[in-house]
Amino acid sequence: MGVKTVDDGAAFEHPLYRTLLSVPGLTVATTALDQVLTWGMSNALWVFPMATSCCGIEFMATAASRVDIDRMGTIVRATPRQADVMVVAGTITVKMASRVKKLWDQMPEPKWCIAMGSCAISGDFYRNLYSVVPGVDTFLPVDVYVPGCPPSPEALMHGFLRLQEKIRKSRKGETVTPETNSELLRVTRPSIPRMVDHERTPEMDRAQIESADIATEVEVTPAVHASLAPEPTELASNISGPDLPAVLTELGIAATGELGPPLVPARRHLEVASRLKSRGYRQLVSVVATHWVPGTARKGKVPDEPEHFEVSYLLRTVGAGSRVATWAVRLAPGEPVASLFQLFAGADWQEREQYDLVGVMFADHPDLRRLMMPENYDRHPLRRDLPANLPYAPWR
Amino acid sequence: MSDGLLHGVVYSVLIVSVVLTATAMALWFERKFAARMQTRLGPTIVGPIGLLQPVADLLKLLQKEDIVPDNADAAIFNLVPPLAALAALGAAAVVPFSPSVVASDLDVGVLYVLAIGAVTVLPIFGAGWSSNNKLALLGGMRAVAQSISYEVPLLLSAMVPVILSGSLRLGTIVQMQADHHWFVVWPFFIGLPAFGIFMLAMLAEANRIPFDIPEAESELVAGVTTEYTGMKFALFYMAEYVHTIVASAVGAALFLGGWDGPFFPGLHWMVLKTLLLFTAVYWVRWSLLRFRSDQLMGLCWKWLVPMGVLLVGAAATWVVVFP
Amino acid sequence: MTALQTVQITRRVDPHLSIDRYDPEGELMLLHFGPQHPSTHGVFRMDLYLDGEKVVKVIPHVGYLHRAVEKLCETLAYVQITPIVDKNDYVAPMTNEQALNMAFEAALKLEVPRRARWMRTLFAELQRIASHLLWLGTFALDLGGALGGGSTVFIHCFRERELVLDLFEEVTGARFHYNTHTIGGNRHDLPAGWSAKVHAALDVIGPRLDEYEAMTLENRIFLDRTVGVGKLDAELALELGITGPILRACGVDHDLRRDAPFHAYDEVKVNVVTAQGGDCLARAQVRLGEMRESVRLVRQMVDGVPEGSINSGKPVKLPVQTKIPPGQVYVAIETPRGELGTYLVSDGTQFPYRLKIRPPSLHALSALPYIVPGGTVSDAVAILGSLDPIMGEVDR
Repeated sequence: MGVKTVDDGAAFEHPLYRTLLSVPGLTVATTALDQVLTWGMSNALWVFPMATSCCGIEFMATAASRVDIDRMGTIVRATPRQADVMVVAGTITVKMASRVKKLWDQMPEPKWCIAMGSCAISGDFYRNLYSVVPGVDTFLPVDVYVPGCPPSPEALMHGFLRLQEKIRKSRKGETVTPETNSELLRVTRPSIPRMVDHERTPEMDRAQIESADIATEVEVTPAVHASLAPEPTELASNISGPDLPAVLTELGIAATGELGPPLVPARRHLEVASRLKSRGYRQLVSVVATHWVPGTARKGKVPDEPEHFEVSYLLRTVGAGSRVATWAVRLAPGEPVASLFQLFAGADWQEREQYDLVGVMFADHPDLRRLMMPENYDRHPLRRDLPANLPYAPWR
Repeated sequence: MSDGLLHGVVYSVLIVSVVLTATAMALWFERKFAARMQTRLGPTIVGPIGLLQPVADLLKLLQKEDIVPDNADAAIFNLVPPLAALAALGAAAVVPFSPSVVASDLDVGVLYVLAIGAVTVLPIFGAGWSSNNKLALLGGMRAVAQSISYEVPLLLSAMVPVILSGSLRLGTIVQMQADHHWFVVWPFFIGLPAFGIFMLAMLAEANRIPFDIPEAESELVAGVTTEYTGMKFALFYMAEYVHTIVASAVGAALFLGGWDGPFFPGLHWMVLKTLLLFTAVYWVRWSLLRFRSDQLMGLCWKWLVPMGVLLVGAAATWVVVFP
Repeated sequence: MTALQTVQITRRVDPHLSIDRYDPEGELMLLHFGPQHPSTHGVFRMDLYLDGEKVVKVIPHVGYLHRAVEKLCETLAYVQITPIVDKNDYVAPMTNEQALNMAFEAALKLEVPRRARWMRTLFAELQRIASHLLWLGTFALDLGGALGGGSTVFIHCFRERELVLDLFEEVTGARFHYNTHTIGGNRHDLPAGWSAKVHAALDVIGPRLDEYEAMTLENRIFLDRTVGVGKLDAELALELGITGPILRACGVDHDLRRDAPFHAYDEVKVNVVTAQGGDCLARAQVRLGEMRESVRLVRQMVDGVPEGSINSGKPVKLPVQTKIPPGQVYVAIETPRGELGTYLVSDGTQFPYRLKIRPPSLHALSALPYIVPGGTVSDAVAILGSLDPIMGEVDR
């Protein structure tokens, strides 16, 4: 193919061009025809909704009766082949981006794209994170940006009107002026600084916080109706429940651990689970893995221990007076823990998620694949030794 | 001979253009009607009360890129959209809009309508097969099963007015009703259920909700038309509406006395009745949910076919007892 | 291992059986259903192995909206996290904020004023109405299609949902993503005359719920499409950790609002709606019943909101400095979709060390490999719709 040079077409003239110009009335006819065609094109914008998240709900509200986007002839088509406008409504992740691109390529020309909401525009506060594409304009040509989180249905309607304007003007070779409504610009500017900032280091955070001379703890006022309020400490103590100590005593396990749930030796934790299940803890609530790395605790409140993983399991009783039982297992890096799958089928996905994100290995798991990240991703992003703004090629 | 030819050509052109205009209007009408059912306004901006919306849609579709997917069977893929439109339009040839306005009042008009109706499944299946798309293939598969099954009750219910009037010619069937009673009025215990079965089967042939499983867009995205763009999609889209209009017209002729009615000329009555049936179809469409394919088959073979057989028997008995 | 052997494991579909076992000849058709599909409720993918129309095996894939919320939370101060979790369950943002802030309050042993607790209860119940309305609309879309009766139900549901959103907008200024809860209470007080508006909105919604019941539970086609479809037995539901309306549709009488009261639910009587059968119809019955119950609860409570402060904390000039003592806490509330929990691991700094959000929808989706096989493609769509998954909280 060789290197392509940009040809703006200025030098090109079709051989018939002069002849056609001299035909009487032809230019008038083609202008009129072009106007009719432009009118048709801009008044029948069929939409392919690339609705991934919150903005998708507002997109649906735009189609519903209060705003009713059908008034201007816009209907929703489920297949990209019959659509003119792709409305990207929601966060686009790295795993999804290639699919969005493919769907965009399947749309017939001429086509337009509306980036709806701050996630589609810039990635919003997810933009520096490992799994999110910082704005769809990194891989799609966007025509209209509709800011907001999410934009109201009226704002999306406004975006469609601006798109119509753009179509009409670009057919005439004119360009659209950007939004000049200063009130609108003021509203859409972020009111607080970026929450995740590349250049902001933890040292800067610390310096800012330590320089402030303000009360550091929230003060608690007495309860308004103490007799009616539930004991808040009860919630905190729910974490281990009353039955678990009994079970541990039955099994002769001496639990350790002070600041969290009781720590159970990894090789006996299946026994605990099965004993609890027979005592009525039939519902698997969650599996939570935490990666502990020395030196990451920012103020050194937690003693520096060697690197390890802690996996907490939560079970619940069903019905009146529902209680939660929680125990934890402590693992050295690379050490597996037995899967709960044989006891609780729900452990399947829970353990896959923790394996994917934290990197804990589960022995005897029937299908230990990644759950959230793409199969070829090579890291475990929730490990504490990885920074939050981990770059993910090719988007960042 | 030349008179007959001239008559045929003139009326064909007339009826085709009228039906196509009616289709454009039907598109607008359906959108407004659906919007009203959903407490919306529908198109309001393009033209007065949105009347020019179908025109804008058509102009837009004309300008869209024409895509033939890789690995699609291009010949069939390109052939079937016009075939779908032609098959839907073809049935309009024998519909008597008034005693004189009919393109060709064939001796075997009813047979012709049913035969043309049976052809409509071919384009749909061809589209599903040639698109090289699994969703389209599933849609085509469903369409074939559905259309072939519903041919049977359609045929049986169309037999009832044929037996009652003793003719396969649509004009004669309407004349018979004009001379005596509309078949839904007398004998209503035969005519009314037969009319119901006919309309249900016609809905199923036209792939309308609750029978629209071949293009069930919540399951199959857009069914057989998933891969079609621009004008080819427009032809499918149009064929669907033409089919509904023609089916309504045939239903009106077979059971509702066609152009028969007091005060107004016959053409007015025919248009009014067609519009009425057409509205009913859309009313159903925008009210009901969708059947599953096995339930659809169950409805056909367990209910409509036995009822159709009974009605044909009843009609035959009626004709023998009260000649 | 003796304890393990005593546990009965019922016969059920093995989701991990290799496809070669079903299909040694390779004759099944593999249909990739999603991630962008009109009825996947966002971005979710099922790989359906089809024998004609019949589904033989299902492999669900999630993670197309994995926005790294948990990693992001580790870099943010506690008060900054509330607007982040808003986006998780974007159909019921109020409940996200509540579940998160309750965990912080429990860890701080912080008392929430009674007025704030009543307001939270009201918000939660109104949000339940809005969320279930959206579910009904989208479920009808799945059953009836976007170009048919389904969209009629959908748009009618949105009409009523807008009324609830107006109420929230009046309090918080936002249609959704309210950011109205904070540690120790609420940010925005109820405006004057709000309760009258609530009554006015419920006067509209209440009678329309009768219409919806007539449109669905007395509709022959609706019954045909839902009875016996996607049957889930209670034992499997518990093992999978399924909660909320789906669990109650299996006949399990379990609702955290009554069984482990939070907010002000200990001061009112909550009638738990259950249904038998565990199929799509039962789920619809439960959700429709819960909307009525929520209307009743809101009517009962809205006039009796006690006077007082809405936040327990004194005005803190730099709330970013709120620190939580080291420890681990798990707090769960009942959202429209079930048990939404927050597992907080704190190391004593002003940033969470690990924040795990326990989403009800993830557990609901994990039932798909068990209940979809045996049905048709249409059934798969109906089942997915009846589980009411919100991908924002599934993937986080």
